[in-house]
Amino acid sequence: MTEHDSNRQAEPPLLQGEALVKTYPDGDVKALRGVSLAVNAREFVAITGPSGCGKSTLLHLLGGLDRPTSGTVRYKGTPLSQLDLDRYRACEVGFVFQAFHLIPTLTALENVQIPMFPGGRPRAQRPRVARRLLEEVGLPHRIGHGPRSLSIGERQRVAIARALANEPALLLADEPTGNLDSLAQQEILDLLARLRSERSISLLMITHSPEVAAAADRVVRMKDGRILSP
Amino acid sequence: MGYVRLIVRNLRGRPARTTLTVLGLAVAVSAVMLLTGISWGFERSFLAIYQSRGIDLIVVRAGISDQLSSNLDQNLEQVIREIPGVASVAPSLMDAVSFEEANLVSVLANGWEPGGLLIDGLRLLDGRPLDASDDRQVLLGRVLALNLDKAVGDAVDIAGESFRVVGIYESESLFESGGLVMPLPELQRMMGREGQVTGFVIVADGAADPRALGVEVERQVPGVAAIPARDYVKGNLQLRLARAMASATTIVALVLGSIGLLNTMAMAVTERTGEIGLLRALGWRRSRIILLLMGEAGGLGVLGVIGGTLLAISGARALVLSPTSRGFIEPNLSPMILGIGVALGIGLTLLGGLYPAIRAARLEPTEALRHD
Repeated sequence: MTEHDSNRQAEPPLLQGEALVKTYPDGDVKALRGVSLAVNAREFVAITGPSGCGKSTLLHLLGGLDRPTSGTVRYKGTPLSQLDLDRYRACEVGFVFQAFHLIPTLTALENVQIPMFPGGRPRAQRPRVARRLLEEVGLPHRIGHGPRSLSIGERQRVAIARALANEPALLLADEPTGNLDSLAQQEILDLLARLRSERSISLLMITHSPEVAAAADRVVRMKDGRILSP
Repeated sequence: MGYVRLIVRNLRGRPARTTLTVLGLAVAVSAVMLLTGISWGFERSFLAIYQSRGIDLIVVRAGISDQLSSNLDQNLEQVIREIPGVASVAPSLMDAVSFEEANLVSVLANGWEPGGLLIDGLRLLDGRPLDASDDRQVLLGRVLALNLDKAVGDAVDIAGESFRVVGIYESESLFESGGLVMPLPELQRMMGREGQVTGFVIVADGAADPRALGVEVERQVPGVAAIPARDYVKGNLQLRLARAMASATTIVALVLGSIGLLNTMAMAVTERTGEIGLLRALGWRRSRIILLLMGEAGGLGVLGVIGGTLLAISGARALVLSPTSRGFIEPNLSPMILGIGVALGIGLTLLGGLYPAIRAARLEPTEALRHD
């Protein structure tokens, strides 16, 4: 056992879900049936599984977008129920959605600044930081463009820049390449890999693609609201 | 980017919705300003008849609801003049005439004594004052002369008789400027009311209390009511009707405006449910989202009241210039009325935006994100 491995064992996981159950009241649908999952610092975990198996629900619970019916989500060992959830979503995690969710009336530069409002970054710094992030994702020439005038791949790059706005420790990505052609998909994967390496952040990604999953440190397979044994 | 810029970008980013909302609000605000202004202008113009001449009391037949139906003996003037505290008194016969060729009905015709305190309250713009010996001579108010296209020296047909215009006058009161004045005996003859007047106006001497003087006049002259000028204006039937109409229409305009605005704001927020869900997902607190949406509502409110004020001012100008309302309507768009309109407009918008904003902020992020 190396020194690095022993340190890792001593530290709690960056994010941990314990026996998570999620039942939706309408129709008594059990989306998750006791899922436990840990993501360590700087780790890339891919979640795969058929549609409707509970992947997105798990991501939403881990990201503090929704509350579990039972079970606990811990961030750096502290249950999310004891944290300020708004602040957790604003500063500790960054979301990348399949549908990008960019605000159509704002430019790329302005969209990237949106999380900086709750993140507490001073107003004068916001455009400079947003510009730097857009340069980092390869869009320095598109900062003044609205989402409608950007290509699909460019929109996802803006969404990734936005997810990094408050320098989170973890990116939560829900099929970020699901709407992209194979070339754009590879570009986004390369970008995420580069960002993860440069920024030492963790990445939890839902994907249907075996190629994408193959790039992960660990692959978690789900079915019918449960994690399948490796 | 700060809040203000974000609010401006959100409003500019949806030009059609912003324009329609601002337009709806502007119409509601201008309706409130104009209708209240017309009602207040009516009252102000009526009060100016008395205030501009320092008149303290109006004497009419007791129990009448409309001044035109009052009928008193002209000889009562001498009795009233003798009452201690009366500085001056003037008889007045008032009636309404029509000029159908000019589409003017109910034009105020005043029969006054040449050289009396009533006629002295007019400012002669052209020609000469009336003389006691004048026969078939008339003074026209500025607005009536304009409406009839008459000048000094022209003949004018009044109730089937031909009169010559000897002067054009201006008055503090729009009603008087939109009417005409002839010697009292002339109007009495024309209307078949010889020796009769509609009422008297009294100026109290400096030491007398007008209200106490009114009581004394009523005691000494049975069958009359001596009413302080301001009370008389407040109790005037036509004025009360106009005020009631204006209030009712203002309330309707306000209710319709509020419903329209509430609907528009609710639609605008519903349309952006996904966007609001995204803001929640990115860590925006509920209070921050309410602040943003209320800021947008406030922005719409400011634009709406600016548009509404401009509409009201243009509408008032159009009413004053329009041949059908010229001489009857002069909206009083005082700073107070504009202030009421602005306060109502902004208040209404914020109120209209509050419920949808709270409802939107209460949505769970995942629920709201599903709307996209």
